[in-house]
Amino acid sequence: MKNVLMVSAVAALLVLSGCSSKDSSIEPYDNSGVTIQPDTSSNADTEELNGEDVVVVEGTDANEMTLSALESRLNSVHFAFDKFNISSEMQDIIDTNSQLVKSDAKNYSVKLEGNCDEWGSDEYNYALGLKRANAVKSSMIRDGVSAERITMVSYGESNPTCTDKTEACWAQNRRVDFKLLP
Amino acid sequence: MRYLLGIFLVTLLLSANDATIEVIKKADSYASIAIEDATESFETVASRQFFKNIVSDMNVLSLFNVERKHYINNYDDSSTSLETRAFDYVLRYRLRHGDRDNIMVDMKLLHNDSVMMEKVYKMSKKNLLVFVAHSIAYDINDMMGAAPVDWMKKKVIFSKLTAPGRSEIVISDYTLTYQHTIIKGALNVFPQWADNKQNAFYYTSLSKDIPTLYKMNLKTGTKEKIATSDGMLVCSDVSDDGRKLLLTMAPSGQPDIYLFDTLSKQKKRLTTYRGIDVNGQFMEDNKIAFVSNRLGYPNIFSKKLNGGGVEQMVYYGRSNAACSAHNEYVVYKSRESNNEFKRNTFNLHLISTKTDFIRRLTATGVNEYPRFSTSGDTILFIKNYQQQSSVGIIRLQENKSFLFPLKIGKLQSIDW
Repeated sequence: MKNVLMVSAVAALLVLSGCSSKDSSIEPYDNSGVTIQPDTSSNADTEELNGEDVVVVEGTDANEMTLSALESRLNSVHFAFDKFNISSEMQDIIDTNSQLVKSDAKNYSVKLEGNCDEWGSDEYNYALGLKRANAVKSSMIRDGVSAERITMVSYGESNPTCTDKTEACWAQNRRVDFKLLP
Repeated sequence: MRYLLGIFLVTLLLSANDATIEVIKKADSYASIAIEDATESFETVASRQFFKNIVSDMNVLSLFNVERKHYINNYDDSSTSLETRAFDYVLRYRLRHGDRDNIMVDMKLLHNDSVMMEKVYKMSKKNLLVFVAHSIAYDINDMMGAAPVDWMKKKVIFSKLTAPGRSEIVISDYTLTYQHTIIKGALNVFPQWADNKQNAFYYTSLSKDIPTLYKMNLKTGTKEKIATSDGMLVCSDVSDDGRKLLLTMAPSGQPDIYLFDTLSKQKKRLTTYRGIDVNGQFMEDNKIAFVSNRLGYPNIFSKKLNGGGVEQMVYYGRSNAACSAHNEYVVYKSRESNNEFKRNTFNLHLISTKTDFIRRLTATGVNEYPRFSTSGDTILFIKNYQQQSSVGIIRLQENKSFLFPLKIGKLQSIDW
Protein backbone atom coordinates (compact mmCIF):
# COMPACT_ATOMS: atom_id res chain seq x y z
CA MET A 1 0.00 0.00 0.00
CA LYS A 2 1.21 3.39 -0.72
CA ASN A 3 -0.14 6.77 0.14
CA VAL A 4 -0.22 9.50 -2.34
CA LEU A 5 -0.10 12.81 -0.54
CA MET A 6 -0.95 15.89 -2.47
CA VAL A 7 -0.85 19.07 -0.59
CA SER A 8 -2.45 21.85 -2.57
CA ALA A 9 -2.25 25.54 -2.17
CA VAL A 10 -3.68 28.07 0.01
CA ALA A 11 -7.33 28.77 0.70
CA ALA A 12 -9.80 27.38 3.19
CA LEU A 13 -8.85 26.69 6.72
CA LEU A 14 -10.64 29.43 8.41
CA VAL A 15 -9.17 31.78 10.82
CA LEU A 16 -11.70 33.85 12.63
CA SER A 17 -10.50 36.51 14.90
CA GLY A 18 -12.23 39.57 16.16
CA CYS A 19 -11.47 42.65 18.13
CA SER A 20 -13.67 43.87 20.87
CA SER A 21 -12.84 47.53 20.70
CA LYS A 22 -11.83 49.69 17.82
CA ASP A 23 -8.59 50.86 19.41
CA SER A 24 -7.34 47.55 20.74
CA SER A 25 -4.36 45.89 19.12
CA ILE A 26 -5.27 42.65 17.45
CA GLU A 27 -3.21 39.53 17.87
CA PRO A 28 -2.89 36.96 15.10
CA TYR A 29 -5.11 33.96 15.67
CA ASP A 30 -2.21 31.60 15.16
CA ASN A 31 1.30 31.43 13.83
CA SER A 32 0.36 30.79 10.23
CA GLY A 33 1.69 34.14 9.17
CA VAL A 34 -1.71 35.70 8.74
CA THR A 35 -1.65 39.15 10.19
CA ILE A 36 -4.94 40.66 11.22
CA GLN A 37 -5.18 44.37 10.83
CA PRO A 38 -8.04 46.71 11.62
CA ASP A 39 -9.59 48.46 8.66
CA THR A 40 -8.47 52.02 9.10
CA SER A 41 -10.94 53.36 6.54
CA SER A 42 -13.78 53.02 8.97
CA ASN A 43 -14.49 53.83 12.56
CA ALA A 44 -16.28 50.56 13.06
CA ASP A 45 -14.74 47.46 14.63
CA THR A 46 -13.00 45.23 12.14
CA GLU A 47 -12.78 41.49 11.89
CA GLU A 48 -10.71 39.67 9.32
CA LEU A 49 -11.20 36.19 8.00
CA ASN A 50 -8.41 34.48 6.21
CA GLY A 51 -6.68 31.20 5.92
CA GLU A 52 -5.14 28.37 4.00
CA ASP A 53 -6.12 24.91 3.00
CA VAL A 54 -4.87 21.48 2.36
CA VAL A 55 -6.14 18.66 0.21
CA VAL A 56 -4.92 15.14 0.69
CA VAL A 57 -5.75 12.48 -1.87
CA GLU A 58 -5.28 8.95 -0.70
CA GLY A 59 -5.30 5.86 -2.83
CA THR A 60 -3.88 2.41 -3.21
CA ASP A 61 -0.76 1.44 -5.07
CA ALA A 62 -1.55 0.36 -8.61
CA ASN A 63 0.98 -2.48 -8.26
CA GLU A 64 -0.86 -4.01 -5.36
CA MET A 65 -1.35 -7.70 -6.01
CA THR A 66 -4.89 -8.85 -6.63
CA LEU A 67 -5.94 -12.29 -5.56
CA SER A 68 -9.44 -12.21 -6.92
CA ALA A 69 -9.31 -15.70 -8.39
CA LEU A 70 -8.71 -17.35 -5.05
CA GLU A 71 -10.87 -14.88 -3.16
CA SER A 72 -13.83 -15.65 -5.39
CA ARG A 73 -13.83 -19.16 -3.91
CA LEU A 74 -14.14 -17.77 -0.37
CA ASN A 75 -17.82 -17.16 0.35
CA SER A 76 -19.07 -14.51 2.75
CA VAL A 77 -20.62 -15.39 6.10
CA HIS A 78 -23.94 -13.71 6.96
CA PHE A 79 -25.50 -12.79 10.32
CA ALA A 80 -28.87 -11.98 11.89
CA PHE A 81 -29.82 -8.42 12.87
CA ASP A 82 -27.73 -7.10 15.77
CA LYS A 83 -26.11 -10.54 16.24
CA PHE A 84 -22.62 -11.95 15.88
CA ASN A 85 -23.21 -15.63 16.62
CA ILE A 86 -22.67 -18.09 13.75
CA SER A 87 -25.53 -20.24 12.45
CA SER A 88 -24.92 -23.89 11.47
CA GLU A 89 -25.38 -23.00 7.80
CA MET A 90 -22.74 -20.29 8.05
CA GLN A 91 -20.45 -22.63 10.01
CA ASP A 92 -20.31 -24.90 6.93
CA ILE A 93 -19.16 -21.94 4.82
CA ILE A 94 -16.44 -21.08 7.34
CA ASP A 95 -15.24 -24.70 7.41
CA THR A 96 -15.03 -24.78 3.62
CA ASN A 97 -13.17 -21.47 3.57
CA SER A 98 -10.76 -22.72 6.25
CA GLN A 99 -9.88 -25.74 4.11
CA LEU A 100 -9.07 -23.47 1.17
CA VAL A 101 -6.98 -21.18 3.39
CA LYS A 102 -5.02 -24.19 4.61
CA SER A 103 -4.47 -25.60 1.09
CA ASP A 104 -4.54 -23.51 -2.12
CA ALA A 105 -4.26 -20.24 -0.22
CA LYS A 106 -1.74 -21.45 2.34
CA ASN A 107 0.87 -18.87 1.29
CA TYR A 108 -1.39 -15.93 2.01
CA SER A 109 -2.69 -14.15 5.05
CA VAL A 110 -6.42 -13.76 5.51
CA LYS A 111 -8.13 -10.45 6.19
CA LEU A 112 -11.63 -10.78 7.66
CA GLU A 113 -13.80 -7.75 6.90
CA GLY A 114 -16.78 -7.29 9.23
CA ASN A 115 -19.80 -5.41 7.88
CA CYS A 116 -23.19 -4.22 9.11
CA ASP A 117 -26.46 -3.01 7.65
CA GLU A 118 -27.24 0.67 7.34
CA TRP A 119 -28.89 1.13 10.76
CA GLY A 120 -26.31 3.36 12.34
CA SER A 121 -22.93 4.85 11.53
CA ASP A 122 -21.86 4.95 15.16
CA GLU A 123 -19.01 3.09 16.81
CA TYR A 124 -21.32 0.39 18.09
CA ASN A 125 -22.04 -0.69 14.53
CA TYR A 126 -18.33 -0.91 13.80
CA ALA A 127 -17.85 -2.94 16.98
CA LEU A 128 -20.65 -5.26 15.87
CA GLY A 129 -18.87 -5.77 12.55
CA LEU A 130 -15.68 -6.53 14.45
CA LYS A 131 -17.39 -9.05 16.74
CA ARG A 132 -18.67 -10.80 13.62
CA ALA A 133 -15.17 -10.93 12.16
CA ASN A 134 -13.80 -12.14 15.50
CA ALA A 135 -16.42 -14.91 15.68
CA VAL A 136 -15.33 -16.10 12.23
CA LYS A 137 -11.66 -15.87 13.26
CA SER A 138 -12.28 -18.04 16.35
CA SER A 139 -14.04 -20.59 14.20
CA MET A 140 -11.20 -20.66 11.66
CA ILE A 141 -8.68 -21.18 14.45
CA ARG A 142 -10.73 -24.14 15.61
CA ASP A 143 -10.53 -25.38 12.01
CA GLY A 144 -6.76 -25.33 12.28
CA VAL A 145 -5.89 -22.00 10.66
CA SER A 146 -3.05 -20.25 12.46
CA ALA A 147 -4.15 -17.10 14.32
CA GLU A 148 -1.04 -15.31 13.05
CA ARG A 149 -2.35 -15.54 9.49
CA ILE A 150 -5.61 -13.75 10.29
CA THR A 151 -6.17 -9.99 10.56
CA MET A 152 -9.49 -8.21 10.97
CA VAL A 153 -11.10 -4.91 10.13
CA SER A 154 -14.62 -3.62 10.61
CA TYR A 155 -16.15 -1.37 7.99
CA GLY A 156 -19.40 -0.88 9.91
CA GLU A 157 -22.07 0.26 7.46
CA SER A 158 -19.59 1.90 5.08
CA ASN A 159 -19.03 -0.96 2.62
CA PRO A 160 -22.44 -2.35 1.60
CA THR A 161 -22.80 -4.83 -1.26
CA CYS A 162 -26.46 -3.87 -1.66
CA THR A 163 -27.88 -0.36 -1.33
CA ASP A 164 -31.62 -1.00 -1.73
CA LYS A 165 -33.92 -0.19 1.19
CA THR A 166 -35.18 -3.74 1.74
CA GLU A 167 -34.82 -6.32 4.46
CA ALA A 168 -33.23 -8.75 1.97
CA CYS A 169 -30.66 -6.13 1.06
CA TRP A 170 -29.84 -5.29 4.66
CA ALA A 171 -29.40 -9.03 5.36
CA GLN A 172 -26.81 -9.23 2.54
CA ASN A 173 -24.82 -6.45 4.17
CA ARG A 174 -24.60 -8.11 7.60
CA ARG A 175 -21.60 -10.20 6.64
CA VAL A 176 -17.94 -11.04 6.96
CA ASP A 177 -15.92 -11.05 3.73
CA PHE A 178 -12.67 -12.95 3.26
CA LYS A 179 -9.72 -11.23 1.57
CA LEU A 180 -6.26 -12.66 0.93
CA LEU A 181 -3.09 -10.69 1.54
CA PRO A 182 0.35 -11.52 0.11
CA MET B 1 -48.26 33.33 50.52
CA ARG B 2 -44.84 34.96 50.33
CA TYR B 3 -43.32 31.58 51.23
CA LEU B 4 -45.20 29.85 48.36
CA LEU B 5 -44.15 32.55 45.92
CA GLY B 6 -40.56 32.04 47.02
CA ILE B 7 -40.76 28.30 46.34
CA PHE B 8 -42.31 28.98 42.95
CA LEU B 9 -39.54 31.42 41.99
CA VAL B 10 -36.78 29.07 43.14
CA THR B 11 -38.36 26.20 41.18
CA LEU B 12 -38.61 28.43 38.12
CA LEU B 13 -34.96 29.45 38.39
CA LEU B 14 -33.80 25.89 38.87
CA SER B 15 -35.83 24.59 35.94
CA ALA B 16 -34.55 27.40 33.72
CA ASN B 17 -31.04 26.03 34.21
CA ASP B 18 -31.99 22.39 33.69
CA ALA B 19 -31.60 21.48 30.01
CA THR B 20 -33.69 18.33 30.44
CA ILE B 21 -36.76 20.52 30.98
CA GLU B 22 -38.38 21.73 27.80
CA VAL B 23 -38.88 25.48 27.64
CA ILE B 24 -41.70 26.65 25.39
CA LYS B 25 -41.28 30.13 24.03
CA LYS B 26 -43.87 31.84 21.89
CA ALA B 27 -42.62 33.29 18.63
CA ASP B 28 -44.69 36.45 19.05
CA SER B 29 -42.70 37.36 22.13
CA TYR B 30 -39.58 37.94 20.03
CA ALA B 31 -38.58 41.37 18.74
CA SER B 32 -38.94 41.82 14.99
CA ILE B 33 -35.99 42.40 12.72
CA ALA B 34 -35.68 43.31 9.03
CA ILE B 35 -32.54 43.06 6.94
CA GLU B 36 -31.55 45.84 4.56
CA ASP B 37 -29.09 45.11 1.77
CA ALA B 38 -27.05 48.22 0.97
CA THR B 39 -24.67 46.52 -1.48
CA GLU B 40 -23.97 48.72 -4.48
CA SER B 41 -21.67 46.64 -6.66
CA PHE B 42 -20.93 43.00 -5.96
CA GLU B 43 -21.33 39.59 -7.60
CA THR B 44 -25.07 38.83 -7.65
CA VAL B 45 -24.90 35.14 -6.74
CA ALA B 46 -22.62 35.72 -3.75
CA SER B 47 -24.70 38.68 -2.66
CA ARG B 48 -27.97 36.71 -2.78
CA GLN B 49 -26.37 33.81 -0.90
CA PHE B 50 -25.11 36.18 1.77
CA PHE B 51 -28.61 37.56 2.33
CA LYS B 52 -29.91 33.98 2.75
CA ASN B 53 -27.11 33.21 5.21
CA ILE B 54 -27.87 36.31 7.28
CA VAL B 55 -31.60 35.47 7.42
CA SER B 56 -30.80 31.88 8.38
CA ASP B 57 -28.36 32.88 11.10
CA MET B 58 -30.76 35.44 12.57
CA ASN B 59 -33.39 32.70 12.75
CA VAL B 60 -31.00 30.27 14.42
CA LEU B 61 -30.18 32.89 17.04
CA SER B 62 -33.80 32.58 18.20
CA LEU B 63 -33.83 36.17 19.43
CA PHE B 64 -35.96 37.73 16.70
CA ASN B 65 -38.92 37.26 14.43
CA VAL B 66 -36.96 37.55 11.20
CA GLU B 67 -38.55 39.13 8.10
CA ARG B 68 -37.42 37.21 5.01
CA LYS B 69 -38.12 40.00 2.51
CA HIS B 70 -35.04 41.42 0.81
CA TYR B 71 -35.08 45.17 1.56
CA ILE B 72 -32.78 47.65 -0.18
CA ASN B 73 -31.43 50.84 1.35
CA ASN B 74 -28.41 53.12 1.24
CA TYR B 75 -25.78 52.17 3.77
CA ASP B 76 -25.18 55.70 5.04
CA ASP B 77 -28.83 56.74 5.37
CA SER B 78 -29.38 57.83 8.93
CA SER B 79 -32.86 56.34 9.16
CA THR B 80 -34.41 53.06 8.13
CA SER B 81 -36.57 52.86 5.01
CA LEU B 82 -40.33 53.38 5.16
CA GLU B 83 -40.83 49.67 4.64
CA THR B 84 -38.69 48.66 7.60
CA ARG B 85 -39.70 51.43 9.99
CA ALA B 86 -42.23 49.23 11.78
CA PHE B 87 -39.59 46.67 12.76
CA ASP B 88 -37.97 46.74 16.19
CA TYR B 89 -34.51 46.24 14.70
CA VAL B 90 -32.95 46.71 11.27
CA LEU B 91 -29.76 44.95 10.29
CA ARG B 92 -28.12 46.78 7.38
CA TYR B 93 -25.09 45.48 5.50
CA ARG B 94 -23.03 46.28 2.45
CA LEU B 95 -20.70 43.96 0.52
CA ARG B 96 -17.83 45.63 -1.30
CA HIS B 97 -14.38 45.00 -2.70
CA GLY B 98 -11.55 46.46 -0.62
CA ASP B 99 -7.90 47.02 -1.37
CA ARG B 100 -5.52 44.15 -2.23
CA ASP B 101 -8.41 41.94 -3.43
CA ASN B 102 -9.95 41.85 0.02
CA ILE B 103 -13.69 41.58 0.44
CA MET B 104 -15.30 43.88 2.94
CA VAL B 105 -18.64 43.66 4.71
CA ASP B 106 -19.96 46.74 6.50
CA MET B 107 -22.68 46.09 9.03
CA LYS B 108 -24.77 48.19 11.37
CA LEU B 109 -27.67 47.35 13.63
CA LEU B 110 -30.33 50.04 14.00
CA HIS B 111 -32.98 50.43 16.65
CA ASN B 112 -35.35 53.42 16.53
CA ASP B 113 -33.04 54.97 13.91
CA SER B 114 -30.11 54.82 16.32
CA VAL B 115 -27.01 52.82 15.47
CA MET B 116 -26.63 50.22 18.20
CA MET B 117 -23.52 48.61 16.77
CA GLU B 118 -21.35 48.96 13.70
CA LYS B 119 -18.53 46.80 12.47
CA VAL B 120 -16.49 46.05 9.35
CA TYR B 121 -15.48 42.52 8.41
CA LYS B 122 -12.63 41.78 6.03
CA MET B 123 -11.65 38.54 4.30
CA SER B 124 -9.47 37.41 1.45
CA LYS B 125 -11.82 34.95 -0.23
CA LYS B 126 -15.41 35.11 -1.35
CA ASN B 127 -16.21 31.58 -0.21
CA LEU B 128 -15.63 32.70 3.39
CA LEU B 129 -18.58 35.10 3.26
CA VAL B 130 -20.82 32.70 5.13
CA PHE B 131 -18.47 32.95 8.10
CA VAL B 132 -19.00 36.71 8.08
CA ALA B 133 -22.74 36.07 8.35
CA HIS B 134 -22.02 33.78 11.33
CA SER B 135 -19.75 36.41 12.88
CA ILE B 136 -22.40 39.10 12.48
CA ALA B 137 -24.96 36.85 14.16
CA TYR B 138 -22.47 36.05 16.91
CA ASP B 139 -21.74 39.74 17.52
CA ILE B 140 -25.42 40.74 17.57
CA ASN B 141 -26.18 37.88 19.96
CA ASP B 142 -23.33 39.07 22.16
CA MET B 143 -24.55 42.65 22.10
CA MET B 144 -28.06 41.53 23.05
CA GLY B 145 -26.60 39.75 26.08
CA ALA B 146 -27.88 36.31 25.06
CA ALA B 147 -26.13 33.03 25.91
CA PRO B 148 -22.92 32.71 23.87
CA VAL B 149 -23.09 31.04 20.46
CA ASP B 150 -19.39 30.32 19.96
CA TRP B 151 -20.31 27.20 18.01
CA MET B 152 -21.63 29.39 15.18
CA LYS B 153 -18.11 30.46 14.27
CA LYS B 154 -16.53 27.06 14.73
CA LYS B 155 -15.70 24.71 11.90
CA VAL B 156 -17.54 21.44 11.54
CA ILE B 157 -15.63 18.38 10.34
CA PHE B 158 -17.39 15.34 8.97
CA SER B 159 -16.87 12.14 7.03
CA LYS B 160 -19.31 11.37 4.25
CA LEU B 161 -19.69 8.10 2.41
CA THR B 162 -19.57 8.68 -1.35
CA ALA B 163 -19.68 5.02 -2.49
CA PRO B 164 -19.28 1.60 -0.87
CA GLY B 165 -15.84 1.62 0.77
CA ARG B 166 -15.18 5.25 -0.21
CA SER B 167 -15.44 8.40 1.85
CA GLU B 168 -14.35 12.01 2.05
CA ILE B 169 -13.46 14.11 5.08
CA VAL B 170 -14.87 17.61 4.75
CA ILE B 171 -14.47 20.83 6.75
CA SER B 172 -17.52 23.10 6.68
CA ASP B 173 -19.44 25.73 8.55
CA TYR B 174 -22.42 24.51 10.58
CA THR B 175 -24.87 25.22 7.74
CA LEU B 176 -22.81 23.32 5.11
CA THR B 177 -22.78 26.46 2.94
CA TYR B 178 -18.98 26.43 3.00
CA GLN B 179 -17.42 23.03 2.33
CA HIS B 180 -13.83 22.08 1.76
CA THR B 181 -12.88 18.45 1.17
CA ILE B 182 -9.68 17.83 3.07
CA ILE B 183 -9.17 14.09 2.42
CA LYS B 184 -10.39 12.40 -0.74
CA GLY B 185 -10.34 8.77 -1.76
CA ALA B 186 -10.11 5.49 0.14
CA LEU B 187 -12.05 4.99 3.39
CA ASN B 188 -11.32 7.49 6.16
CA VAL B 189 -13.82 7.88 8.98
CA PHE B 190 -14.45 9.32 12.46
CA PRO B 191 -12.72 12.71 12.15
CA GLN B 192 -12.36 14.43 15.53
CA TRP B 193 -10.90 17.88 16.18
CA ALA B 194 -7.59 17.63 18.07
CA ASP B 195 -8.26 20.72 20.21
CA ASN B 196 -10.41 23.81 20.49
CA LYS B 197 -8.20 25.76 18.08
CA GLN B 198 -9.21 23.36 15.29
CA ASN B 199 -5.78 23.43 13.66
CA ALA B 200 -5.52 19.62 13.57
CA PHE B 201 -7.79 16.60 13.66
CA TYR B 202 -7.65 12.86 14.26
CA TYR B 203 -9.18 10.37 11.88
CA THR B 204 -9.22 6.64 11.24
CA SER B 205 -7.88 5.23 7.99
CA LEU B 206 -9.42 1.88 7.07
CA SER B 207 -7.48 1.61 3.83
CA LYS B 208 -4.33 0.14 5.35
CA ASP B 209 -3.71 -3.48 6.29
CA ILE B 210 -4.60 -2.48 9.83
CA PRO B 211 -6.92 0.31 11.10
CA THR B 212 -4.71 3.33 11.76
CA LEU B 213 -5.33 6.54 13.67
CA TYR B 214 -3.70 9.63 12.21
CA LYS B 215 -3.41 13.22 13.32
CA MET B 216 -3.59 15.66 10.41
CA ASN B 217 -2.04 19.09 10.83
CA LEU B 218 -4.03 21.54 8.75
CA LYS B 219 -1.33 24.18 8.69
CA THR B 220 1.33 21.96 7.19
CA GLY B 221 -0.72 19.24 5.52
CA THR B 222 1.37 16.63 7.30
CA LYS B 223 -0.03 13.63 9.12
CA GLU B 224 1.32 11.71 12.06
CA LYS B 225 0.55 8.07 12.86
CA ILE B 226 -0.85 7.93 16.41
CA ALA B 227 -1.85 4.30 16.86
CA THR B 228 -2.84 1.10 15.10
CA SER B 229 -5.14 -1.71 16.15
CA ASP B 230 -6.42 -4.86 14.57
CA GLY B 231 -10.19 -4.80 14.00
CA MET B 232 -11.17 -1.24 14.81
CA LEU B 233 -9.71 1.99 16.08
CA VAL B 234 -11.64 5.20 16.72
CA CYS B 235 -10.79 8.44 18.50
CA SER B 236 -14.06 8.88 20.39
CA ASP B 237 -13.30 12.03 22.36
CA VAL B 238 -10.57 14.55 23.10
CA SER B 239 -10.16 16.16 26.53
CA ASP B 240 -10.73 19.92 26.78
CA ASP B 241 -6.99 20.59 26.95
CA GLY B 242 -6.36 18.31 23.97
CA ARG B 243 -3.92 16.14 25.93
CA LYS B 244 -5.97 12.98 26.55
CA LEU B 245 -7.85 10.88 24.03
CA LEU B 246 -10.51 8.24 24.55
CA LEU B 247 -9.86 5.56 21.96
CA THR B 248 -11.84 2.47 21.05
CA MET B 249 -9.31 -0.20 20.19
CA ALA B 250 -9.39 -3.96 19.72
CA PRO B 251 -5.81 -5.27 19.75
CA SER B 252 -7.04 -8.80 20.42
CA GLY B 253 -10.34 -8.58 18.57
CA GLN B 254 -12.11 -7.25 21.63
CA PRO B 255 -13.44 -3.65 21.38
CA ASP B 256 -12.57 -1.75 24.58
CA ILE B 257 -12.02 1.85 25.65
CA TYR B 258 -8.50 3.13 26.24
CA LEU B 259 -7.20 6.41 27.68
CA PHE B 260 -4.34 7.69 25.54
CA ASP B 261 -1.90 10.38 26.67
CA THR B 262 -0.76 12.38 23.62
CA LEU B 263 2.44 13.55 25.34
CA SER B 264 3.71 10.32 26.87
CA LYS B 265 2.10 8.18 24.13
CA GLN B 266 1.06 5.77 26.89
CA LYS B 267 -2.35 4.14 26.84
CA LYS B 268 -4.41 2.65 29.65
CA ARG B 269 -7.24 0.16 29.14
CA LEU B 270 -10.38 1.41 30.90
CA THR B 271 -12.90 -1.35 30.14
CA THR B 272 -12.49 -5.11 30.20
CA TYR B 273 -15.95 -6.51 29.47
CA ARG B 274 -15.79 -9.35 26.93
CA GLY B 275 -18.67 -7.90 24.86
CA ILE B 276 -18.73 -4.45 23.27
CA ASP B 277 -17.49 -1.29 25.03
CA VAL B 278 -17.20 1.73 22.72
CA ASN B 279 -17.83 5.49 22.31
CA GLY B 280 -16.06 6.78 25.45
CA GLN B 281 -16.90 10.39 26.31
CA PHE B 282 -15.27 12.56 28.96
CA MET B 283 -17.75 13.84 31.53
CA GLU B 284 -17.76 15.51 34.95
CA ASP B 285 -16.13 14.12 38.12
CA ASN B 286 -13.29 12.42 36.27
CA LYS B 287 -15.73 9.95 34.74
CA ILE B 288 -16.50 8.69 31.25
CA ALA B 289 -19.82 7.80 29.65
CA PHE B 290 -19.74 4.96 27.13
CA VAL B 291 -21.84 2.47 25.17
CA SER B 292 -21.80 -1.18 26.18
CA ASN B 293 -23.87 -4.27 25.43
CA ARG B 294 -23.19 -5.78 28.86
CA LEU B 295 -26.94 -6.12 29.49
CA GLY B 296 -27.49 -7.90 26.18
CA TYR B 297 -28.33 -4.76 24.22
CA PRO B 298 -26.48 -1.48 23.67
CA ASN B 299 -26.96 1.02 26.50
CA ILE B 300 -25.22 3.95 28.17
CA PHE B 301 -22.96 3.42 31.20
CA SER B 302 -20.40 5.40 33.15
CA LYS B 303 -17.30 4.66 35.17
CA LYS B 304 -14.48 6.54 36.87
CA LEU B 305 -11.28 7.05 34.93
CA ASN B 306 -9.25 5.75 37.86
CA GLY B 307 -11.17 2.49 38.20
CA GLY B 308 -14.17 1.34 40.15
CA GLY B 309 -17.47 -0.13 39.07
CA VAL B 310 -19.64 0.48 36.05
CA GLU B 311 -22.90 2.36 36.52
CA GLN B 312 -25.94 2.17 34.23
CA MET B 313 -26.98 5.68 33.19
CA VAL B 314 -30.07 5.11 31.04
CA TYR B 315 -33.16 3.05 31.90
CA TYR B 316 -35.20 3.91 28.83
CA GLY B 317 -34.94 2.59 25.27
CA ARG B 318 -34.35 -0.83 23.76
CA SER B 319 -31.17 0.04 21.96
CA ASN B 320 -29.09 3.07 22.95
CA ALA B 321 -26.06 2.85 20.71
CA ALA B 322 -24.37 6.28 20.75
CA CYS B 323 -23.81 9.10 23.22
CA SER B 324 -22.12 12.42 23.90
CA ALA B 325 -21.48 13.93 27.33
CA HIS B 326 -21.05 17.42 28.73
CA ASN B 327 -20.61 17.89 32.49
CA GLU B 328 -23.66 16.21 34.03
CA TYR B 329 -25.58 15.91 30.75
CA VAL B 330 -25.63 12.96 28.38
CA VAL B 331 -27.39 12.94 25.02
CA TYR B 332 -27.91 9.50 23.50
CA LYS B 333 -29.39 7.82 20.45
CA SER B 334 -32.23 5.42 21.17
CA ARG B 335 -34.16 3.02 18.96
CA GLU B 336 -37.88 3.66 19.53
CA SER B 337 -39.26 0.47 18.03
CA ASN B 338 -38.80 -3.11 19.13
CA ASN B 339 -39.08 -4.22 15.53
CA GLU B 340 -35.86 -3.59 13.73
CA PHE B 341 -37.52 -2.90 10.38
CA LYS B 342 -40.93 -1.31 10.96
CA ARG B 343 -41.03 2.37 11.89
CA ASN B 344 -37.45 1.98 12.97
CA THR B 345 -37.02 5.49 14.24
CA PHE B 346 -33.93 6.46 16.17
CA ASN B 347 -34.30 9.53 18.35
CA LEU B 348 -32.00 11.58 20.53
CA HIS B 349 -32.73 11.92 24.24
CA LEU B 350 -31.18 14.09 26.92
CA ILE B 351 -30.62 13.11 30.55
CA SER B 352 -28.89 14.68 33.52
CA THR B 353 -27.11 12.89 36.34
CA LYS B 354 -28.72 15.45 38.67
CA THR B 355 -32.38 14.72 37.81
CA ASP B 356 -34.62 11.87 36.65
CA PHE B 357 -36.01 13.74 33.66
CA ILE B 358 -35.62 12.43 30.12
CA ARG B 359 -36.13 14.89 27.29
CA ARG B 360 -36.73 13.63 23.77
CA LEU B 361 -35.01 15.94 21.31
CA THR B 362 -36.05 14.59 17.89
CA ALA B 363 -39.19 13.05 16.40
CA THR B 364 -38.67 11.47 12.98
CA GLY B 365 -36.03 9.64 10.97
CA VAL B 366 -32.70 8.22 12.07
CA ASN B 367 -31.06 10.75 14.37
CA GLU B 368 -27.56 9.88 15.44
CA TYR B 369 -24.03 10.95 16.22
CA PRO B 370 -24.90 13.69 18.76
CA ARG B 371 -22.12 16.07 19.77
CA PHE B 372 -22.42 18.74 22.47
CA SER B 373 -21.08 22.23 21.79
CA THR B 374 -18.25 23.45 24.04
CA SER B 375 -20.73 25.35 26.20
CA GLY B 376 -23.11 22.38 26.30
CA ASP B 377 -26.27 24.29 25.33
CA THR B 378 -26.33 23.20 21.69
CA ILE B 379 -26.14 19.76 20.09
CA LEU B 380 -24.86 18.90 16.64
CA PHE B 381 -26.15 15.67 15.12
CA ILE B 382 -26.72 13.68 11.94
CA LYS B 383 -30.23 13.09 10.63
CA ASN B 384 -31.01 10.56 7.91
CA TYR B 385 -34.57 10.77 6.67
CA GLN B 386 -36.12 9.75 3.35
CA GLN B 387 -32.79 9.24 1.56
CA GLN B 388 -31.54 12.63 2.77
CA SER B 389 -28.60 13.12 5.08
CA SER B 390 -28.55 16.38 7.05
CA VAL B 391 -26.59 18.17 9.72
CA GLY B 392 -28.87 19.06 12.62
CA ILE B 393 -28.53 21.71 15.32
CA ILE B 394 -30.57 21.54 18.54
CA ARG B 395 -30.65 24.63 20.76
CA LEU B 396 -31.65 23.22 24.12
CA GLN B 397 -32.66 26.37 25.99
CA GLU B 398 -34.54 27.77 23.00
CA ASN B 399 -36.21 24.40 22.29
CA LYS B 400 -35.52 24.72 18.57
CA SER B 401 -33.82 22.54 16.00
CA PHE B 402 -32.54 23.29 12.51
CA LEU B 403 -31.56 21.03 9.62
CA PHE B 404 -28.99 21.65 6.89
CA PRO B 405 -29.14 18.99 4.14
CA LEU B 406 -26.08 17.44 2.52
CA LYS B 407 -26.49 17.44 -1.26
CA ILE B 408 -24.30 14.45 -2.10
CA GLY B 409 -23.31 11.44 -0.02
CA LYS B 410 -24.30 10.15 3.39
CA LEU B 411 -22.92 11.57 6.63
CA GLN B 412 -20.92 8.98 8.56
CA SER B 413 -19.62 10.94 11.55
CA ILE B 414 -19.28 14.55 12.64
CA ASP B 415 -17.52 16.82 15.12
CA TRP B 416 -17.24 20.52 15.92
